[in-house]
Amino acid sequence: MTARSGLHPSDGRWITVGLGASLLIALGLPLIVALLWSFMDPATGWFAPDILPPSYALDHWEWAARNGDIAQALLLSVGIGLAVTALTALLALPTAYALAKLPFAMKRAVELFILAPLIVPGIIVAVGIGTIFFRLDLAFSIPGVILVQTVGTLPFMIRVLAATIEAIPNDLINAARSLGAGPAAVARHILIPLAWPGFVAGGLLTFISSFEEFEKTFIIGSPFVQTLPVILWGYLGGRVMVFPTAAVVTFILLVPMLIVFFLAERVLRDDVMAAGMGKL
Amino acid sequence: MRRLPQGVVAALLVLPSGGYLALFFGLPLLLAFLGSFGLYARGGDGGFTLRHYADLFGTQAYRDGLVFSTYLAIVPTLVSLAISLPLAMGLAQTFPGRKLFNALYKVPLVVPGIVAAFIVMTLFDRGGLAARLLTPIGIDLPKIVRDDWAVGVIIATAWKAVPFMTLIIGGSLGAIQKDIILAARTLGATPLTAFWRIQIPLALPGITAAFLLTFIGGMGAFAVPNLLGPVYPLPLSVHMYVNAFERNNWGLVAAMGTMLSLISVLVLLAYYRTTRSLRTAYGGEVR
Amino acid sequence: MSQITLTGIAKAYGTSVAIAPMDLTVADGEFLTLLGPSGCGKTTLMRMIAGITLPDQGAIRINGRDMAALPPEKRNVGLVFQSYALFPHMTVAANVGFGLKMRGIARDAAAERVRAALALVDLEPLAARYPRELSGGQQQRVALARAIVIEPDVLLLDEPLSNLDAKLREHLREDLRNLQQRLRVTAIYVTHDQAEAMALADRIIVMDKGRIVEEGAPVDLYRAPQTRFAAEFLGQTNVVAVTAAGLLPWNTGVAGPADGMVSIRPEDIAVTPALDGAGRVLSLTFLGPAVEYRIDIGGTVLRARDSGTGTAILPQGTQVDLTLRVPPHPLQGVA
Repeated sequence: MTARSGLHPSDGRWITVGLGASLLIALGLPLIVALLWSFMDPATGWFAPDILPPSYALDHWEWAARNGDIAQALLLSVGIGLAVTALTALLALPTAYALAKLPFAMKRAVELFILAPLIVPGIIVAVGIGTIFFRLDLAFSIPGVILVQTVGTLPFMIRVLAATIEAIPNDLINAARSLGAGPAAVARHILIPLAWPGFVAGGLLTFISSFEEFEKTFIIGSPFVQTLPVILWGYLGGRVMVFPTAAVVTFILLVPMLIVFFLAERVLRDDVMAAGMGKL
Repeated sequence: MRRLPQGVVAALLVLPSGGYLALFFGLPLLLAFLGSFGLYARGGDGGFTLRHYADLFGTQAYRDGLVFSTYLAIVPTLVSLAISLPLAMGLAQTFPGRKLFNALYKVPLVVPGIVAAFIVMTLFDRGGLAARLLTPIGIDLPKIVRDDWAVGVIIATAWKAVPFMTLIIGGSLGAIQKDIILAARTLGATPLTAFWRIQIPLALPGITAAFLLTFIGGMGAFAVPNLLGPVYPLPLSVHMYVNAFERNNWGLVAAMGTMLSLISVLVLLAYYRTTRSLRTAYGGEVR
Repeated sequence: MSQITLTGIAKAYGTSVAIAPMDLTVADGEFLTLLGPSGCGKTTLMRMIAGITLPDQGAIRINGRDMAALPPEKRNVGLVFQSYALFPHMTVAANVGFGLKMRGIARDAAAERVRAALALVDLEPLAARYPRELSGGQQQRVALARAIVIEPDVLLLDEPLSNLDAKLREHLREDLRNLQQRLRVTAIYVTHDQAEAMALADRIIVMDKGRIVEEGAPVDLYRAPQTRFAAEFLGQTNVVAVTAAGLLPWNTGVAGPADGMVSIRPEDIAVTPALDGAGRVLSLTFLGPAVEYRIDIGGTVLRARDSGTGTAILPQGTQVDLTLRVPPHPLQGVA
């Protein structure tokens, strides 16, 4: 049966097995190892050639729970993430509508310009803005970090929203207008309800990309603005590497993001997500 | 009621984000570009100069850094492409658990680069888990973290890039009408031939876009090569950071940024050349 | 010589039956039409012959050769898709030449055959164009040229004209029939359009819910349908009980069971105004070449079509007499 024509993969189970094994190695194994590190017992350590730690303890998690820096960093990361998401959504909606529904001169040029922050390496953006922020006294400040992160998240949000709004049939808008709805009523009763999935998913993913952003935050904010990734950098890039601590911070960073991501994943269609990520 | 012309409405709607990006993205880049020639530069005398470029190309470490940055852009991108194409094809089939796998493979998208670097350290650094597993069966793992060929950087970068590329390539493959592939089959094409002659060419805009964005990401990467890369050469991005914040040599930083941007723009132009022919062939807009 | 034989072919998707076990033979050079409403299994049947869908059971033979183990690319079948499925990244010539290339035919010989195929469909001057630069009708002809250039054992056409406007459809219908007869290729044509089926086919297979309801030459199927489904699906008809038919003053008696149903085509009913007529015009629709009346006769409503040129149009409420031009046709197996 299987070799018949290739159009009838009567045995999809082999794909399941293959993909499952690959994902286990590429995704499951690393996360398990990181988890094991976070539960390592400092009394016994975890040295080669041991495959598993000789004993487990909650020491590093307790340390993290007591450590004010980490709690503060978590709070800061969430706060910055919310601010970036709100700013991004506010700036993105009008532009997304114009790109999706209005004809105007130089549309292609505007689209390219909006895409440009995805095309220029983040470090260049950060260092470039740094020079301006020094003059404006925004360097090493939380507002500065929010502003620089928004440069990176705005293109994604605009493109996700534009793709969502574009999918709303023009005739729905025309029908509403012919029934007496003005532009504001059209936005309130037609556009925003129908574009809501894009709004939610775009917002969630904007939050994620702010939460995990390192390079721009580090260059503009460090050492005064300590978000979670910046703290993690300290544990890994310093003179001594502190694996168990890094592992704990990794999970504090990763778990909320995975939850948010799977929420967004449920709402957002793959092609819209791809459009947002710069499928040109 | 007076109605504004549509062009004016559009301009007003584009203004908030357009203005924002002009101010916080366009202007800094312009200043960096001018600064690389000594114009309007912080701490410079304001006169035109090629001194910073001379510095960049006259220093062995920076020349090597430029080459190394390009290497870190190309190699992980090729590795990711080789994994993403079959993965995207596989995920498009019907098989048990398809929905679950379609969500799970995207996880690295949201994992920060630093975490990816940390994971590579725990697995592949000397004394890492891979070595512990392989040594007993007689395989001696070569140095992978902080090695000369930056294998660790390549693994971490590719790990993060594979879902990204798969998502975009999968979208392009999925957009191809099923009838077109079936038509090729009834005309005598084997599944493999149909893949190479029909699916790959039709998905090429998506493939090149994914390639381009991964390439640029690799070239500007700072955290991962800093944690996993060799001591020498350092990529230009790390030199940028060091010169900016430890040596206060902003002119040189601007020159380096301009060079990295120039390479990005060249790759972007190559992308447009590749896809333009397809754009005319399709008629439909390729985006 | 290509004869197609299906024996005991069946297909189900989960619990829903797409094709109930059926046998079918298509003669060499025959133009067979599969006619039925959407979801009747006609497209599934055709896709099974092409090898795109696999039957759950039964055998498909082309010229006696069992197709079961052959993937689509080995079957030598020409398939024209409803969507045309032209390769957007290839020129017209490259589209048409694709099948020849897959068969490893030398470039010069292939080019000559592509030219000849394009000449057959009158598209030679457009060889260098891309599909999107063509009109719908031109795209359809490219798809046809691409399917016939490989000299297939059987030409399969899946509603190939359904995306075109009415005028063009009629025009291409004639071209298609002429081409098929010139090439003497066995053709299977799937459609839900009964007029198209009658205009094209040597033989029509009427399908419903995965079964063959009835088959026959277009004239026989139209004039003497055996089943109510076929009678109603091909053209318009009045299906009335024999007892009700007794109301009509026809000359010959009705064959068949006394409690059965008969089919009377609207164009077979002549309408003449008569002050003491048994019928009355309920409503009328002017169709251009004909006028269609809904007529009440003793509580039964009949459709009658009057195509007499120059006759007066009878207003609503006119009392009329009805006469039948041919005897009513009895239907089997319906009460």
